Amino acid sequence: MKPVLATLASMIALAFAASVDAAGQYETIDYYVQQMIAQANASDAIGVQTFREQMENLRRPEAGDSAKAQPFRQQGLEQLARNNLKEALTAFRQAFITDPADPEIAGQLGQTYLRLHRFKEAERLSVYALSLAPARSATWLVLGEVYGQTGDAHRAAGAFTNAYRFAKDPPQLAEQLRQLAATSNVEAVRAGAQQTLQSTRPDPNPKPAATPVLVPQPAPTTSVAPTVAPKPSPNAGDTALADAASAGKSTVAGAVFGSLKRGLENLTGQPNGATPASDSSRPQALNADSPGQRIYQQSIPLTCLIVTFRNGKTDNLGSGLLVSTDGLVITNNHVVEKADNLAVKCGERESAASVRKRSKEPDLALLATSLQVKNSFVLNETYNQDLIGRDVFVIGNPYGLEGTFSTGVISGLREIEGVRYIQISAPVSPGNSGGPVILRDGTVIGIAAMGLKAGQNLNFAIASTEVIASRLFDPTRMKSRPLSGK
Amino acid sequence: MNARYFLLVASLSMAAWMLAPLAAAQSSEQNRYYIQQMIELATTNDDHGVTTTQRVLEQSPKPASADPSGARAASQRGLAALEQNELETALRAFQQASQADPGNVEAVNYLGLIYRKLNRFQEAENALQQALALEPTRAVAWFQLAQVYGLQNDARRALGALANTYRFAQNPMRAEEILRNIAENEAADTLRNAALETLRLYRLPVEAVIVPPLPANPGIAPLNVPPGSVRAPSIRPAP
Repeated sequence: MKPVLATLASMIALAFAASVDAAGQYETIDYYVQQMIAQANASDAIGVQTFREQMENLRRPEAGDSAKAQPFRQQGLEQLARNNLKEALTAFRQAFITDPADPEIAGQLGQTYLRLHRFKEAERLSVYALSLAPARSATWLVLGEVYGQTGDAHRAAGAFTNAYRFAKDPPQLAEQLRQLAATSNVEAVRAGAQQTLQSTRPDPNPKPAATPVLVPQPAPTTSVAPTVAPKPSPNAGDTALADAASAGKSTVAGAVFGSLKRGLENLTGQPNGATPASDSSRPQALNADSPGQRIYQQSIPLTCLIVTFRNGKTDNLGSGLLVSTDGLVITNNHVVEKADNLAVKCGERESAASVRKRSKEPDLALLATSLQVKNSFVLNETYNQDLIGRDVFVIGNPYGLEGTFSTGVISGLREIEGVRYIQISAPVSPGNSGGPVILRDGTVIGIAAMGLKAGQNLNFAIASTEVIASRLFDPTRMKSRPLSGK
Repeated sequence: MNARYFLLVASLSMAAWMLAPLAAAQSSEQNRYYIQQMIELATTNDDHGVTTTQRVLEQSPKPASADPSGARAASQRGLAALEQNELETALRAFQQASQADPGNVEAVNYLGLIYRKLNRFQEAENALQQALALEPTRAVAWFQLAQVYGLQNDARRALGALANTYRFAQNPMRAEEILRNIAENEAADTLRNAALETLRLYRLPVEAVIVPPLPANPGIAPLNVPPGSVRAPSIRPAP
């Protein structure tokens, strides 16, 4: 860009800065970020620099409590490294709320949203993080991926170019871009990265920039060279941000900058139905001598929390078990009988649910969900005296205490009003209803249903044989087998 | 003549003295009306309406301070007690502070916060409305008022108060993230749904939960605590 044009752009930017003073804060910073992307796409280093300086001149948000925020951030980094995305989100979110002026925290929160495929949130946090540190390469890289993931290869390329421009280690950034160009499963991400790699190839006859604002950098040893030298960020000002205008106040700015937001409408949200599984609930090490640990690890992803809603409010909690790989869940009828709506959480996966079949005697209901799993519980067909004295394991959500695991033995076999029950000594409380009672071999011998209040540890599970004999059982989708071993 | 004049002045003074609480009560009622208006207008994102009402409130007469230094000392005691979670002690201190200086918005706001923590919702609402009458753009007071309404299952007013929390937030991105946190993690249905609706009202991204979060503490207490004395699980801390 010629110096005259650069000056003109700067003046226009200043004019905009004045005119958007009363508009939404986010719209203002988004405007500058989009301008930096557009200038990067036009290979206009001075334009990028101009808008970067404009952004650096914006009033900065009030600093929070950095000392309190750092442990949360550290926790977030650890969870992110383990791919525990929900836990990472919780930690980074807490860190951000504690110190919203830290660009690293804001950027990492944006990155976590990206990995959760929550692209709108990822974009907003990344744009905000860039307002705190416009030359933070990692944030540009995340923003580029966000645009790529939402199908906007052009903006992805612009953001990637800025990531490269501001990288402290350009060869390493180039390698990251090569990885994206080669391995991303989204075409626009690959295309954006490819475009950036092509546009940032070393110039065989580098020319100095038109103005002394930017210093040309010697070509690195790799095949990709930066177009401008990275410039350190100025010191962060601690001036308090002016009273923020709400999004509702920003209609004028929204109209002004509407064209810059094209493509946003195409952003996709979190896919419906099942959420990604996480192994966060699993212990890191397994004690091979402990059958309880083995049973717990195998069973917890297949054990469900059932939440019922009535008149738009949470009404009842119960437990359930996945009995087919296509998401059929068995619970007690009394858990769901008064519900308007249902939701289930099996392991870390959640889904809305509907009652497919139900019976009052035995007290059972079969729920359909959108969950797809590799394994499901196997029902045990046995119901004889051989069962008495065997160890049992119960998983459920008593009083909402999710995934509570307890043990006991089979104390007896009872037939109550024509229904066969397994009497167990394992503790069962409200919220356990509908949960699995499991034998050492991992099969389900009963469905926790009720307890005798007057006594101690006198609890009852509907025998699995009753489930198998009922019209709820579908042999083409559910599995059963007889007792094996001790 | 002098005696007559003296009588007139005395009777007018007496009348003014007698009517002063009435006038104050009227003003307080008016302020509550305006705050409720701000809540109602916020539920429909009526920017102009909220701003107009806010300005009316800002111009309403503010109470005079009787003993500002006494109020400051009481506030210091209150803060120290609050840090130790001695809520009753903190309550007494902030009551003293707000009586000594009814225009001290910090003291009145803390009073509302402590009433809320003690689950004394009516008093919490009164104190927070008083704080907002003094400073209608005080986001933290709007946030606490939203919690008061949310915990009383008043969905509409919780939404309006949260909408004003966002509207007046110093850092909207932080407020947005706080709202998302509530919308995804709050166990109290009304408050969680109000946060969700607020984000939708401002067209901000949010993911509605499928399975609502369960209370972290469903009434767990030490075994020697007498039955019935367990407090309901507390909601997440205010920003």
